[in-house]
Amino acid sequence: MSTSVNVARYHVVDRGGVAATSWGVLTFTFAVNLVIFSLIPVGNGGGYAHGRYSGALASLYIMFCVIGAIAIFRSLPFGLTLGASRRSYYTGTAFLAVTLSAVYGLALTAMQAIERATGGWGVAMHFFVVPYILAGPWYLTWLTSFVGLTMLFVYGMWYGIVYRRWNLAGVLTFCAAQVTVLLAGALVITWTHAWPAVGRFFTGLSAAGLTGLLAALTAALLAGGYSTVRRATV
Amino acid sequence: MTPVVSTTGLTRRYRGQLALDRVSFDVEDGSITGLLGSNGAGKTTLLRIIAGQEFPSAGQVRVFGASPAENEQVLRRMALVREDQTYPDFRVRHAVRAASWFYPNWSGELAGALLADFGLPLGRRISKLSRGMRSALGIVIGLAARAELTMFDEPYAGLDAVARQMFYDRLLADYAEHPRTVLLSTHLIDEAAGLLERVVVIDRGRVALEAAADDLRGSVTSVSGPAMAVKEFTAGRPVWERRQLASQESVMMVGVLDDADHARARALHLSLEPLTLQQVVVHAAGTTAAGLEERTSV
Amino acid sequence: MLDAGTPLFAQIAERLADEIADGALAEGERVPSSNELAAFYRINPATAAKGIGILTDDGLLEKRRGIGMFVAPGARQRLLGERRRRFAERYIEPLVAEATRLGIGTGELITLIHESSHAQGGVTT
Repeated sequence: MSTSVNVARYHVVDRGGVAATSWGVLTFTFAVNLVIFSLIPVGNGGGYAHGRYSGALASLYIMFCVIGAIAIFRSLPFGLTLGASRRSYYTGTAFLAVTLSAVYGLALTAMQAIERATGGWGVAMHFFVVPYILAGPWYLTWLTSFVGLTMLFVYGMWYGIVYRRWNLAGVLTFCAAQVTVLLAGALVITWTHAWPAVGRFFTGLSAAGLTGLLAALTAALLAGGYSTVRRATV
Repeated sequence: MTPVVSTTGLTRRYRGQLALDRVSFDVEDGSITGLLGSNGAGKTTLLRIIAGQEFPSAGQVRVFGASPAENEQVLRRMALVREDQTYPDFRVRHAVRAASWFYPNWSGELAGALLADFGLPLGRRISKLSRGMRSALGIVIGLAARAELTMFDEPYAGLDAVARQMFYDRLLADYAEHPRTVLLSTHLIDEAAGLLERVVVIDRGRVALEAAADDLRGSVTSVSGPAMAVKEFTAGRPVWERRQLASQESVMMVGVLDDADHARARALHLSLEPLTLQQVVVHAAGTTAAGLEERTSV
Repeated sequence: MLDAGTPLFAQIAERLADEIADGALAEGERVPSSNELAAFYRINPATAAKGIGILTDDGLLEKRRGIGMFVAPGARQRLLGERRRRFAERYIEPLVAEATRLGIGTGELITLIHESSHAQGGVTT
């Protein structure tokens, strides 16, 4: 247990390396969007209530995926040299993912509140409010952000492990396998004429329901990564 | 007493290539053992398996009596300094700070002294360090960890002779005050020879020789002089290599010589030159493993 | 500093014995510890300890608990006596062997020894 905690600390030993990159990217995209939105006139019927959505919040989620991958493929060798087992290293890194996501979720929630209070930063921009998924009450915003960030971090970790064990060829195979699974799923749905049912399932799904689905997926990713890391060598 | 490291039949294959071939050896507690052999002999693979970073294809390894793989009770008691260590995007101070959290016997005082000795800039990014400075960082962490089992794998790539001497001196000084088990893999045998209590010679993935270092010094003697006299002197004794030039012959004779041998050599006008540890090791690595071990054991 | 072709522990023992024989290490004086010897000669402390152990076994050194190793009383005399006994074997025999090889007769050899001794201002008869 103590080793896992040390592994989590190990990732942030440079105090602010992770924070600087992630918030740096987010601040930059936010600033760019702010400039763009201030240049485009508010359309007919205008105002904040009628959406002008940025979607650039995704940059933070992508950053989390990248940080997760780096936390394994770049940092695992020295971590193992310091005497951590692969198990502790993985749980410690996942622990970091959960902690960071919880804190970042809070920050996103606060920013969303400011966005609503200022009528979209004065230029009617929806940056932290995303329709359907991040548009509910504050606690749901926090929960969905938390789950989403954790999921992408853990997903990135798995890429990092695959890269360490099987290099680029492994990563390509890994991607191809995921595409194949999705395609197979689509084919099965087509053959069983289940598309209307699937459509009904998703339209009937609330943001909270979707968050639950993402949480389940995160758990599956965690288990997958864990089973792969145990034979990783450095 | 249980040996600190014990391997039996350790084998590692990479795509049909044998990196390690049934390696069996023990390392006793509280000694400095040299792991000697040319580049690519399998030393790094062996150390990685002992450190639980790599898995064997066959055979087994025991460290402190247990398997090191995924075993933190064992892992936290050892340190491996690798020649090719990759670090995260850290500055020097971050690597040292992180190491201080993981090693239970870590000495911050020693780390500070060593960082100053090697002139390592704390604020420099590790990726911006020269090869020698990266090696020095590994040495600092490996020594300051004061791990019960400390392994150095060719720890001084890019370090000049002065810095290497500093490494040997600091290692000896701290080892004297805080005894531990040290495994030092090196191909600079002459330099490190004095430090070693035991040597294990690896050649093409096999153990070619395992012996006490001092038993090897003088265990092989170069005998040279008139061919007839050399033949008479070495008759019935194991020899490694014969070279002849006209009526002169030179032979490497295995076995410790006593006073009577020396007297006889004088009478035969032969000159005797004992081989250094490095010379013995180089020849051992070139000779078949099994026979030699019998011949040189005293 | 040390010869790489001879067991190091034997060389350590030899050097300490030389110092005792020369009087550089007087009887009752403390000899360097194995760690001090190890640091000085840059060798393994266990090797240095083994060298000291040989002299201890011979009774030339004695251990004083908690303080260290000291030159035993009478050590110098014993060493000198032993070296005298081995003098012929170690120095005279090879000398005579080489002289014979070169065709130097016994009388001539003795004359040479006299000359050398005189030049060094050493032993006179």
